[in-house]
Order: sequence, then C-alpha cells, then structure tokens
Amino acid sequence: MAHYDYVEKAVTVSRREFLGMVGVAGAILWTGAYAATDLVQDRNKYIKMRAQGIYKDDVKAKVRQSHHNPGLQDMYKQFAGQPLSPLAEELFHTRYIDRTKLG
Amino acid sequence: MKGFQTNERTSIIEINRKKCKGCDSCKSFCPSAAIQGKYGAIHSINSEQCIFCGQCLINCPFGSISDTVDTVDTVIHQLGNQELTVVATIAPSVRVAIGEEFGLEPGTLATGKLYGALKQAGFKIFDANFAADHTIMEEGSELIAKIRHYLLGEPAEHELGLLPQFTSCCPGWVRYVELYAPQILPNLSSAKSPLMMAGALAKTYGATQIWQVKPENMVVVGIMPCTSKKFEVSRPEFSSAAHYWQQRGSAAHYPDVDTVLTTRDLARLFEKMNIDFNRVEASTDADNPLAQYSGAGTIFGNTGGVMEAALRTAYYVITGQELPLLEYKPVRGLQGLKEADITLKDAKTGQVITLKVAVVHGIKDNLKPVLDQVIAGRSPYHFIEVMNCPGGCVNGGGQPINPMGTSWTGNWKALLPWT
Ligand code: SF4
Ligand code: SF4
Ligand code: SF4
Repeated sequence: MAHYDYVEKAVTVSRREFLGMVGVAGAILWTGAYAATDLVQDRNKYIKMRAQGIYKDDVKAKVRQSHHNPGLQDMYKQFAGQPLSPLAEELFHTRYIDRTKLG
Repeated sequence: MKGFQTNERTSIIEINRKKCKGCDSCKSFCPSAAIQGKYGAIHSINSEQCIFCGQCLINCPFGSISDTVDTVDTVIHQLGNQELTVVATIAPSVRVAIGEEFGLEPGTLATGKLYGALKQAGFKIFDANFAADHTIMEEGSELIAKIRHYLLGEPAEHELGLLPQFTSCCPGWVRYVELYAPQILPNLSSAKSPLMMAGALAKTYGATQIWQVKPENMVVVGIMPCTSKKFEVSRPEFSSAAHYWQQRGSAAHYPDVDTVLTTRDLARLFEKMNIDFNRVEASTDADNPLAQYSGAGTIFGNTGGVMEAALRTAYYVITGQELPLLEYKPVRGLQGLKEADITLKDAKTGQVITLKVAVVHGIKDNLKPVLDQVIAGRSPYHFIEVMNCPGGCVNGGGQPINPMGTSWTGNWKALLPWT
C-alpha cells in the first residue's frame, strides 16, 4: 500500500539509472514495489513545499479570520442578510443523494 | 449507468489501453477500488465506482491515465466573445502550484502573476478564497447551531443535521459518502463547496452588484486543483442562481458553474493564448470585493485548513474573543489522523464545553476507523474534516504532475529509443 508518510527510499538508484539498468520490462516487474514508493517520495516533497506556500499566504494576509473579510461582510449586509438566512439556505446550501438507490 | 443523476457526467478519468503497462501502481492510490485488471494486464476504471479524484492519474508511473474533459478551447472561445463575462474562480492551492508548469519551484506563491495572467486572458476574478471564507460563515454557523442545540441544550431554530458534522467541500469525499456510506449523509454539512457557493453568488450578487451584467451572459469557470470538481459542476441541483432568477421572472436555464479547468488545463490555456506567465505583470484586483480573502480562506488548500479556519471563527462566535494563537498546530502536518480538543466558554451562558475535532486526509489509507466509529454511533468527535487527497488539495488530481522534472512520468520515453 502507498503511504504518503514514507521516509525511507526503498531503492537507492535514481529512476534514470534504474530504467537504464533494467529497461522497461524489468521496471514493470519491479514497479509494484518500486514505482509506488518512489512516486510517493516525490509527491511528499511537493505536498510539503506547496503546503508551506499556502501557510505563507496566511501569515502575510492582512485579515486572518473569515468573519473579518470586508468584502464578505458587505455581501451579507447588501444581499444575503446573515449566514443560514432563508436566502443563504437557498443559494449556499444543498442536499445529498443516496447513490446506492439510483437506478 | 448506475448511481448517476440525469445529465451528470458519467466518466472523467480513463486509462489509455495503449499506454497501460499493467504495473498495478494505480490501485495502491485508489480510494474506492474502482480500478480493474490483474498485474501485467491492461487496467480499466469502473466509473460507477470511481469518485473521479485523479489520484491514480497523478501517480501512474507511465502517464497512462488522463482526464477526459477538456474545455480549454471552449473557454478560449468564450473569452473572445464580447457578449460574455467570463469569471475565473481560483482555488487556494492553484496559486502555489501553477508556477511549476512554468519552471518555478513547487510552493512558489504566485497569486499576483496568476491574477495578472487571468486578466490578460480576459477573465474577471472571483477568488475562491473569498468563497472559502463564505463557506466558513455558513458551515461554521451550522456547526455552532448544532453545538448550541445538542451541547448547550438550546432549542433549535432550524432543521439541524447530526453531530459529528463532516465537512462537505471535497466533491470526491461527498461522492464517496453518497456511494459507500449513505447512512452518514445526515452528518454531512449542508453547506455547498466553496466553488459551488461562488457560482451561485457570482450569478446573483456578482452579476447585479459587482459586474452589472446579465447572469445568463456570465460564464463561471472554476480553476481547480481537482478532477472531481469536473463531476461536481455537472450535478443538476447546482443551478440555484437560475432558479433564483426564475422566481423573479426570468426563463433562462444555466448551471451555477459552467466548467472547470484544472491547474494543468489553465497552464495549457495560457500557452495557447501566448501568455508568458513568467513575464506577466502581477496584479492584485484590489478594488474587487470578490477578490478579498482572509488567511483562513487560503489555508483551505491544505489538509487541516478547513478545520483551522472554522475554529478561528467558531471560537470567536462562541467565546466572543479571538482565538489567542491563530496558527493551530494540532491540525497541521501529514499525519493520517489529526485530533484536537478545544475548550470554549460560551459568552452567553458562561457554560464551558470541550469541542473534539478530527482531520482526515487520504481516504484510501486513513478514513476507515473514523468512519466506522461514526456509523456505529460511537464517534468521540463533534466536527470532522475529510479531504480525499493525501495532503489535501495541494496534492489534488488536477495539479501539475511533473513539477521539477524528477518524476519518471514521461521521462522514461526520453531514455528509450523505440518509443
Ligand atoms: S499505474 Fe498506469 S501503467 Fe500501471 S496499471 Fe495503472 S494505469 Fe496501467
Ligand atoms: S479517479 Fe480516484 S476513484 Fe477513480 S479510479 Fe482513479 S484513484 Fe480511483
Ligand atoms: S482533496 Fe481537494 S483536490 Fe482532492 S478530491 Fe477533494 S477537493 Fe479535489
């Protein structure tokens, strides 16, 4: 199973070296074990870097809580009234479907 | 096909038979066991079981899986039509990933460039981060109403769902519940996802008060990290704006959100329109109220972000004071299940309550124990955030695949003379 918190590299050669050594046929034999762990290493790195970018955006924001968003406060004042008002229920809420019961 | 409503998209993610090597890797990422095929044989996806999250797509080592809904040319065409107002609704995690398609390091915050490039292409902007703040107000108010009723014993003013309340922003998760755990539908927040709120608001308030255009001449384009959003926008119930105007005499029919471009799709759109992302002048859209957002809105892109944003507001509404430490560490990071207890003193009655929350990301590996507890009626939590993709939307199925040229997707071709 592919766990995203994987830290150890299962194979120490790079992908290029690996493919160069064993070719596609060998890679296919290996991929069940190799591709998943190695791809996860890469994805993990990107997840962390992107997540940091997002937290940076939070720290540099002038306003940091949703209830202080001035544009949103205006919208409620001029249009929807307040959260869960009848208009808010009509436009911003929904219902779900039990798909096991759909033909 | 079974399990679809009329007019819903029944297929988004497909395996290319010619490219699939039968390596089985995709199965280890699929949260819904939708992938068929034995090791060594060509694999295929059963759309009736698939939640369209694209995790198989971004992780296939041979680039054999793709998303079959491509509306880049349609959107370019619409941008060229003077009659239409085309509005881009940009998800939080697109701004930290789009740069990778143009050679920037992953995580580079490119909001200014993104706004600039979108404006150059002719889009109006409705930042989905505004809609994320909006979601917190609606979903948070729903949670607070449940707390007041179930924990503080006050009479309920509205019809309330059940506790624990689950978040509902992730369409992959919503489809998962509808297909595999319908018994907990009453626990799902009734709040629409930020994208769907944005669509409904753009074609009502946005059309009349911000852009002064006819809602039927508006095109709302979700710019999303997510392939499952391509399914979400096709759900027939998401035409609230048209319904709103029908009650006021209009006859037009249209969806709240017309189409979705993934981060990858948007990069292709910029390339096709000859917009050089790296040279574009940054923009802020400072005078547009629908481009204003808080730090709480932006963290929606990370696992734990919705929870952290909701706590910042719920704490304020219940206690009357701001959360003392805004960076709420217990819900951050990549552990599979994150839990936190938060003690609140109700400003109105003086009662003290302890709110128990949980954050799950990566349905494939981390959901089961939490879901089983809820189904069995013995969940210790009051509020549970679920995002399908490991890490949250920053790792969504619509994000750049090969950011720094290190993934072997595609690269193997360069090595082999016969391909
Ligand atoms: S990961 Fe890609 S190549 Fe491997 S079985 Fe799945 S679709 Fe085929
Ligand atoms: S899109 Fe998601 S649910 Fe569908 S087959 Fe791929 S991993 Fe499985
Ligand atoms: S976690 Fe985000 S990207 Fe992944 S399916 Fe859910 S909404 Fe889409």
